Amino acid sequence: MSRLATVLAVVALALALLAGDASAHPLGNFTVNHLTNVAVSDDGVQLRYILDVAEIPTFQARKQSREHVLARARQEVARRLNVSVDGHRVVLRDAGPALLSFLRGQGALNTTRIELPLRAAVTGAHVVLLRDGTYPDRIGYTAIVAQPGTGTAVRSSVPSQDPTRGLRTYPPSTIQRPLDQRTATLTVRDGAATLVAPRLDGSDTVTTRSGAGDGFASVFENAAAGKTTLVLLLLAALGWGALHALSPGHGKAMVAAYLVGCKGTSRHAVVLGVVVTITHTIGVFALGLITLLLAQSVLPETLFPWLTLISGLLVVAIGLGVLRSRVGHHRAQRSHHHLDEHRHAHGTSHAHGHTSHHHGHTSHHHGHSHDMPDTITRKSLIAMGAAAGLIPCPSALVVLLGAVAQHQVGLGLLLIFAFSIGLAATLTALGLLVVHAHRLPIRLAVPKRLLSALPAASALIIVGLGCAIALQAAPKLL
Amino acid sequence: MLRRTLRPRVLALPTVAFVVALGALWALDDPARPASTPAVNPVDLIQRGNAELQRARETADPAHYASAETMFGQALRRDRRSVDATIGMATLALARHDFRRGLRYAQRARRLGPHLARPFAVLVDAQIELGHYEQAGRSLQQMIDLQPNLASYARVSYFRELHGDLTGALRAMRLAVSAGAAVPENVAYVQTLLGDLQAMRGQTAAARRAYTLALSGVAGYVPALAGRAQLDGATGHLQAAIRGYADVVRRRPLPQYVIALGEIQQAAGRPADARETFALVDAERRLLAANKVNSDVEIALFEADHGDHARAVDLARRAWRAAPSVRAADAVSWALERFGRPGDALGWARRAVKLGSQDPLILTRAGLTARAAGHAGEARRYLRRALRANPHFSVLWAPRARNALRGLR
Repeated sequence: MSRLATVLAVVALALALLAGDASAHPLGNFTVNHLTNVAVSDDGVQLRYILDVAEIPTFQARKQSREHVLARARQEVARRLNVSVDGHRVVLRDAGPALLSFLRGQGALNTTRIELPLRAAVTGAHVVLLRDGTYPDRIGYTAIVAQPGTGTAVRSSVPSQDPTRGLRTYPPSTIQRPLDQRTATLTVRDGAATLVAPRLDGSDTVTTRSGAGDGFASVFENAAAGKTTLVLLLLAALGWGALHALSPGHGKAMVAAYLVGCKGTSRHAVVLGVVVTITHTIGVFALGLITLLLAQSVLPETLFPWLTLISGLLVVAIGLGVLRSRVGHHRAQRSHHHLDEHRHAHGTSHAHGHTSHHHGHTSHHHGHSHDMPDTITRKSLIAMGAAAGLIPCPSALVVLLGAVAQHQVGLGLLLIFAFSIGLAATLTALGLLVVHAHRLPIRLAVPKRLLSALPAASALIIVGLGCAIALQAAPKLL
Repeated sequence: MLRRTLRPRVLALPTVAFVVALGALWALDDPARPASTPAVNPVDLIQRGNAELQRARETADPAHYASAETMFGQALRRDRRSVDATIGMATLALARHDFRRGLRYAQRARRLGPHLARPFAVLVDAQIELGHYEQAGRSLQQMIDLQPNLASYARVSYFRELHGDLTGALRAMRLAVSAGAAVPENVAYVQTLLGDLQAMRGQTAAARRAYTLALSGVAGYVPALAGRAQLDGATGHLQAAIRGYADVVRRRPLPQYVIALGEIQQAAGRPADARETFALVDAERRLLAANKVNSDVEIALFEADHGDHARAVDLARRAWRAAPSVRAADAVSWALERFGRPGDALGWARRAVKLGSQDPLILTRAGLTARAAGHAGEARRYLRRALRANPHFSVLWAPRARNALRGLR
């Protein structure tokens, strides 16, 4: 039973990631919230302006086309987001695709989310002043968040922490003390990508080093700046992928339950790992491609629910398949016995006609009683791996999009591949663990009846998990 | 063997474990659950709750109610007999138009602090909204005796206005303005109310001055901007009024402003624009319901004038059950009249004007109802009163009142 408990624990972990947040706009239905991420590096100022517009202002702009909505936001930013370097106002240019998305909010109304990556090419900056004067007469959460930049040591007047995770969540603290942070001063020296910034509560300062805070994504930034060799980078991607697979939601539960249900072998575990690598890589590539194609109009947030739904339905189908094969197997065994008795009863009159049949049947029966059937077909294995790898993790997508934004597509693709291999290595290791642990119950002399129930139970778990995944996606799509 | 495999007893264990794991997870992952509960004293909580309420006042954003409720609730859990937290809860209930609950909290606050003036503010508000006008008058007298300040003068003014004493209401509101307050918004608020009273009396220039003063105290103060747009509309400057209300709606898309914009657009002969504007009101009706704010009187009147008459009757009746005030009686009356039942509507119209209201909108609606019910003399009385103080009180309603009066002669 300990194996089952492990499986359940992993299922639980997977679901923790999937549990979505409430759709209510926590800062109210009237608000226009904006946040500016700023980093000063030795060759320029990078900004990411994020706009989150609540239901009513979104409704007020409902007759405008996507292009118009985006153009209006750009215009507002061009007019009212001022960056001055050593006393001179600088011109901000696009530094990547702008993202626009409409997310479902309260009362079956949409909210608007816009992200604008911007950049000013400046060298040798000493003092950078940022003033966010956008949407002056609309209420909402306004914040500036400083980040370390390559080749500089920056002292910031604004915090480096962002409790809203880019205006995606509004924890109670932000509601209790809505921020209206509209100006930031950054003093810049040459350095190794460090940032000294006040804490969020204003009590103290904290030093952030690029690469320490944001895991893989910032490792990538270093690479793009040529600070790390490619080999080291690939190793880092591999290791990060392996570690990342331990975080919830990478189909570990599914893989484990599947291998238990089908009494898989070590070979199956390895194949599954490979399939996961391939599908995960393809999944991220495909999502990246789709994102780039829809860059003007869609955010990955809107795509994830669909992918989750598809993946969930796929898992349900596989679970049902496993269940049916278990049931079919037992039914076959029962019917064989029945046939045997039947044959004995009428053996005298039909002996000749059944002899050859009898032989063939006996050998078949033999196989069953000594060995479990290999219910893992190549097709089902690939389908399972595909389902496990189909949900690309946002973290990997961030890397790819970051690479694209910095015109380093090739490097990004390579890193994703390494990342996926690391991911698959962990999954395979887990699969092997499960396969080998599978023999434990026999040694521990668990009641036979319970043992025979396990495959069916794990098939049911696969179905339940699939349903849960699909249901998680449903409210976001309705 | 199959039957044994699927025996419920065997399957029950993993199934139950699965369900329990799911439940535990969802419970653990509750995003509303605070990560840690720091030790906070009730005074801090009340201050933060009041800050939220003030912010809700300034921004008209109902989302602040939820966090205010959390603060006051926590404060009350730490100190059940806290007067200020109880007053906070009362204010919150009133803001959400849950007037009975507001009255209960106000009465409790009054018992907890019998010698304090503060509980009277919420007590008077609740009594007026619930139509307990005599009790409200007595509470108001006690309040003003204990503490003659902006809060009590403003309430005296509203009380007099309800009873048709516009001169007295103006006098009290001037006292409220000169009493002043620590929060600029509070002063701008009473200056705007003063402007509204002056506009109702047809003192256009004085009203405009009051709005300008409010705006100089709080830049972009939306109620004052709306007052100016209303003045423009009433004086026939429809394009200026549309511009003004469009600006107001862009800043604070409150239902009453959105409705006003749509009506001016209608009056200006722009029905397509008006339809667009009214669609926003409908979206807000859904949002307010989702936020548990029950602003049925405004929405009921909107439905009666521009929407579904049956829904208007239903909403107005519910508003009356929640708060049997003269405003609710007016809404029920008008909804019934529009629904084609002027006979039933007339009784409600009489209730709406029983205090002696001089509100030209209520009087016009009562007059039109009386006329439809065949009571010509009564209709003439109401319509004359509606036009007496200011014959140009509204670009939409004043002509209707005049035409109806002409037809009755």
